[in-house]
Amino acid sequence: MKLEIKNITKNFGGMQALNNVELTIDKSEIIGLIGPNGAGKTTLTNVIDGVYKPSEGEVWLNDERIDHLPPYKIARRGLGRTFQVTRAFRRMTVMENMMVPAMAINPGAKRQNVINKAQGILEFLTFEHLANEYGRGLSGGQQKLLELARLLMLDPDFVILDEPFAGVHPTLQETIYGYIDKVRQEGKAIILISHDMDSIFTLSERLVVLDFGAIIADGNPQNVKQDPVVIKAYLGEDEEEDY
Amino acid sequence: MKRIPIQGVLLVLLLIFAFAFPRIMQGQPYWLYVALQSFFWAMMAASWALLAGYAGQFSFAHIAFMGIASYTSGILGRDLGWSPISGIILGTLMAGLVGVLVGYLCLRLRRTYLALFTIAFSEIVRLIINAEHEFTGGPMGLYMEPLLETTSYVPTYYIMLVALIVSLAIMYAIANSRLGLFLRSIREDEEAAAAMGVHVVRYKILAFVITSMIAGIAGALDHHIIGFIAPNELMIPRMSLVIAMAVIGGTESLISASLGAIFIHFAMEWLQKIPVPASWMPSLRENTATLQQFGLSLGEGYLQTNAWRMVLFGLMLMLTLRFWRNGLIQPLLEKIGRQGVAEETVAKRKFSQEENEIEGTEA
Amino acid sequence: MDYITGQFLVNLLMNGILIGLIYGLMALGLTLIFSVLGIVSFAHGEFYMIGGYVVYYLLQAFGNLEPMIAILIAGAVTFVIGVIFELLFLQPMGKGDIERPGEYAILLTFGLAFFLQHVMIGIVGPFPTKVDRFYDFAEIDWGWLRMKAATVWFFDMPISSSRLIATGVAVVLTALMIWFMSKTWTGRGLQAVSQDRQAASVVGINPSHMNTLAFGLGTMLAGMSGAALVTVFAWVPWVGMPASSKSFIIIVLGGMGSMPGALLGGLVLGIVESFGAGLYPDPSKALAYKDAFGLLVFALVLLVKPTGFFGRKL
Repeated sequence: MKLEIKNITKNFGGMQALNNVELTIDKSEIIGLIGPNGAGKTTLTNVIDGVYKPSEGEVWLNDERIDHLPPYKIARRGLGRTFQVTRAFRRMTVMENMMVPAMAINPGAKRQNVINKAQGILEFLTFEHLANEYGRGLSGGQQKLLELARLLMLDPDFVILDEPFAGVHPTLQETIYGYIDKVRQEGKAIILISHDMDSIFTLSERLVVLDFGAIIADGNPQNVKQDPVVIKAYLGEDEEEDY
Repeated sequence: MKRIPIQGVLLVLLLIFAFAFPRIMQGQPYWLYVALQSFFWAMMAASWALLAGYAGQFSFAHIAFMGIASYTSGILGRDLGWSPISGIILGTLMAGLVGVLVGYLCLRLRRTYLALFTIAFSEIVRLIINAEHEFTGGPMGLYMEPLLETTSYVPTYYIMLVALIVSLAIMYAIANSRLGLFLRSIREDEEAAAAMGVHVVRYKILAFVITSMIAGIAGALDHHIIGFIAPNELMIPRMSLVIAMAVIGGTESLISASLGAIFIHFAMEWLQKIPVPASWMPSLRENTATLQQFGLSLGEGYLQTNAWRMVLFGLMLMLTLRFWRNGLIQPLLEKIGRQGVAEETVAKRKFSQEENEIEGTEA
Repeated sequence: MDYITGQFLVNLLMNGILIGLIYGLMALGLTLIFSVLGIVSFAHGEFYMIGGYVVYYLLQAFGNLEPMIAILIAGAVTFVIGVIFELLFLQPMGKGDIERPGEYAILLTFGLAFFLQHVMIGIVGPFPTKVDRFYDFAEIDWGWLRMKAATVWFFDMPISSSRLIATGVAVVLTALMIWFMSKTWTGRGLQAVSQDRQAASVVGINPSHMNTLAFGLGTMLAGMSGAALVTVFAWVPWVGMPASSKSFIIIVLGGMGSMPGALLGGLVLGIVESFGAGLYPDPSKALAYKDAFGLLVFALVLLVKPTGFFGRKL
């Protein structure tokens, strides 16, 4: 498994959101992606996911170029993501929400097998009592969990989690920690975008810092934390705002 | 699982009633004709419900597809001598083909823009049919070969009934298949659906094609039965009527939308001439002039409501949207089906609400 | 095609501009509604239709009523209907009582169009009515400018005087509207809400009052355009449908929510229609296709650049 982001630049009109971003992920690990607001984290996610086409540069997934592919194909090739603002299918039940990715990646899937798999995931996430609840009936934290559950059904090699802890109840946060652990155990790579520094430093095995659309640091979290460039650009100045 | 029997029994009773209707209505061909027309509207409303309610594509071009199929079949019959059957088949395919085109063009358009585009498309189709009179008969309309030689409405009633049942069965199967699941996910959130691996483009176009073909076959069949079509039948208010039927029935349920259509069509026919008690007649007769000023006319024992029945349905459409978003029939059917599960769901709702509140205070 | 002379083309252009100015006024109303409420009213043309009928009935009931007063009353009536509708059906949207508000607004205003149309069919019946021109012109002959009661010849190019009067009314009303929006506090309040609702409410503007006002003003402008044009066209209860389409075309051309765009879009549509109908190779079909030209341009603009000339995102 290998995700290569090669020299990605993304312009919106006159504004440069990403500037020559280089990133390679070739093993199962948890990568924290941080940066001040507007640094380009979500833009990068959208470029990897195929929502945006990069202005320059290429994205390669498992030795296949994917930056020209539509999002659904990228999803089927093993890259899954959640959204910063949760996007549960509101007028579909939790179970139906989870059936969508499983049915989409595998046209021949048997309904009962899919349901069984979904039930297993729901139990793991302590969520099974809500299987028949509609998306719109869930709390914000539960919607986050639902997105994570959907991702497990998609079963990608690379998982991008965009602010999984934002607005989440402390008990649910524990569940999400467990989730990340499980996904990591299954041998997937996780890109974790979060403003929650405690979680980032607890979980990340590698830390990437974006500032003004460029990567300013990439490496061991403890080392990155000491990096004067990072402290100046991010941790030092904006600390209070970001906690 | 108590729910299946109740709904199943109702469905069987409904079917028996529908098949026995010509016997019940023996000697009243007028109501038989009303019924078969109502099946046309039911096919229109249900297929629009699939497109709008399931796939989330609020298109206003549905009536245009009906017209395209009808005119294709009518013109083939007039100029090339095609039989109604082959005309209807080709007309339906034509509607599907144009459906591909419109679906493709609409891919990037959402909500208001989609509505505007489809209205424009529908009006362009109507204006072309109006203008190209050498070819389409223009505003004077086009005569279409009758589907059957007989003057009895009994066989045509059954044809429309079977067409309705078959198309509902097909649409029901689609709605409950993986395709239906994908369409609903696209309705809820296109981007999230794509991120989950759903081929949004393909399924959106497919939704247009399938529903256009059902509108097409409904229109072609019905106009071969009527024997005539005019461009006026493609006008926007007729589209509004389809929408009113689907919304009042319930756009998220095919059977509710079609029952809504059947109910409204019957109500419209009945309201055309409201029976008036004989004792009221004299005083009404004295005020004939006033009545006429308000667009009502008086017949022997009945009051003719003319445009006012439409006013009623316009008002009903607005009120349904405002106060009963799921329609009037759909919640009723759900209530019948849910009797056993009701309490459990309420409990769950309450649970998630409480949790919401906790988080709300934290944020 | 020898009838296509320079003068003929100039005549087409002039007719296009005259009608385009009225279209602009009508679209101004729709764009105002869109910019403040964020919705497109599919019943816009029905207010135009009602405006025309109000003038018709007023002039029938009071034969010597000053037509300009009748136009003002038509504006007041459509304003009130718009306000009532907004309060009853659109206010709950702003309060968050309505799920999927975008879809609701589309279907609801579509329903309103159907409702109003049939109310008028109920009242006036399906037969066309015609209102006589508001004023007769004095007879003048200055060579380049000749006038008779019903027609004006400008360099030998005939223009109907009712059309000229209607355009005059539209120009005055447009100017008043621009003044209102840019110079009065209320107008600026509307603009503020259209640009940033939250910021506006922070500085003490009540956005939901502005919604009501914008909807009322929007329907009023439609009503007054109808009132001005009632002498030009035969009036039927469904006269509002093409008027609606034209307003949609214009606000999409001009960019949803842009007021200068609406005025420019009106002119463009007027000219496109005029030339389209005047130059279509088969004159017998030209009139039938008149409405289709604008729609075709419209569909293309929607597909290529849905934000129009000066648009902003929907």
